[in-house]
Amino acid sequence: MAANTETAQPNIVAPAKKPLPAAKNVDSQSVLKRLQSELMALMMSGDSDISAFPEEDNIFIWKGTIKGSKETVFEGTEYKLSLSFPNDYPFKAPKVKFETTCFHPNVDVQGNICLDILQDKWSSAYDVRTILLSIQSLLGEPNISSPLNPQAAQLWGNQEEYRKMVEKLCKFQDA
Amino acid sequence: MASGFISDPPLSKKKRTNGSAKLKQIKLDVRREQWLSRVKKGCNVDSNGRMDNCPSSKHTASEENRSSCKEMTRKGEDIEGTCIQDSDSRSTINSPDRSTYSHDESSGKDFSGSSSNSISTSCSGNDSEEEDDDGCLDDWEAVADALYANDKSHSVVSESPAEHEAECRYTVLEDDKNPRVDFSKADFKSEVPESKPNRRAWKPDDTLRPRCLPNLSKQRNSPLNPNWRGSRKTVPWAWQTIIPQPSQCPICYEDLDVTDSSFLPCSCGFHLCLFCHKKILEADARCPSCRKLYDHVDGNVGLNIGAKAFCITQSCRTGTGW
Repeated sequence: MAANTETAQPNIVAPAKKPLPAAKNVDSQSVLKRLQSELMALMMSGDSDISAFPEEDNIFIWKGTIKGSKETVFEGTEYKLSLSFPNDYPFKAPKVKFETTCFHPNVDVQGNICLDILQDKWSSAYDVRTILLSIQSLLGEPNISSPLNPQAAQLWGNQEEYRKMVEKLCKFQDA
Repeated sequence: MASGFISDPPLSKKKRTNGSAKLKQIKLDVRREQWLSRVKKGCNVDSNGRMDNCPSSKHTASEENRSSCKEMTRKGEDIEGTCIQDSDSRSTINSPDRSTYSHDESSGKDFSGSSSNSISTSCSGNDSEEEDDDGCLDDWEAVADALYANDKSHSVVSESPAEHEAECRYTVLEDDKNPRVDFSKADFKSEVPESKPNRRAWKPDDTLRPRCLPNLSKQRNSPLNPNWRGSRKTVPWAWQTIIPQPSQCPICYEDLDVTDSSFLPCSCGFHLCLFCHKKILEADARCPSCRKLYDHVDGNVGLNIGAKAFCITQSCRTGTGW
């Protein structure tokens, strides 16, 4: 396995890294190692509620999915996300966005997420798995005080109506 | 039944060493096909006839392969000496014990194969690897043969074909009942009384086992022993295994070396490598685990704290240091 990843690395790096100096190359090698290890760990962890996988040609961009937690208004729904990792990951947070529309107080129409650990509270000890789990728990426990989606924040008080809204959007997505 | 094959091949194959490589390839293919078909059919449930036939044919195939390629190397040696008569006699004398050696190996392979059907693909993969490595394997076996021949007197060598046959019968008989358990038994029994060059890991109760090797069974039993804490000083490595020490840096996933693993920059005990620590110091300088600001002193402080935490047995250091 180790041999495979090592041989695969030059292919992935080559197109993106050629213009950059050698020092940067070393960095991206370690980012690659980290991302590959994370991918392995994520696949071995066997989480059924979250998943993520790199894009075909670029390991710095991943597609993830989150299932809504049980006993929340998001139960039974599934959301797609995109994760874009910077060249100095994990020292800088990845950019995470919802790809599917998510009616949530802390998610705007474009899918941007307002979550502290993705901004100023980022720590290099976080990884893809903890990010996805954090977003999953954010779904059920929104921060109403600083909403990106005021309409969702208003409706949050009425859980039945909120559930209907989520279901409606879910059907709209599927269709 | 197999002993007939053993004495024959060296003499008959002597003349066609040129084609032996090709022959070897064909035979390996045949062997692989047999092996795969056997695994596909399922070793345990299938008819006994199949189970009896397959291993033996496999054995002979592999024996022939080995002896033929051995022949190549031997011939190479003998050309230098220009002493063909000698080589013939040598090869015939040596052939019995050589074939027992290869048989043992193949029976070992049988055991691993029959014990788990699911590994069939990996087993066949091993076969192909072996094919690739055959060049060095020959040399290795030749060395092993030489050692073996030195160890044993000629009288034992002449005995070995009978022994070998008995082994074969034994495995075939046991085959009918339960291949899983009895292959191991057969393998074991044939190995112990002959005291061959050891090709296995040491067992805990092995009499020849070097003392310096750590004893796993002891390690496992130690928590059950009420006095084990008292003996901590005598086995410092056991104490170290209790503290959960990551072998990799949790930030970059590179292996931690000795310096890294004794490096504790934060009182929360979060391990990371010096390289990542430096990177974090350049940025927000907070511990990734507890978010506490790292002390803006160079790494020495961290190193001392780390040493203190891990060198509990060395009281002098903790006394003079901090």
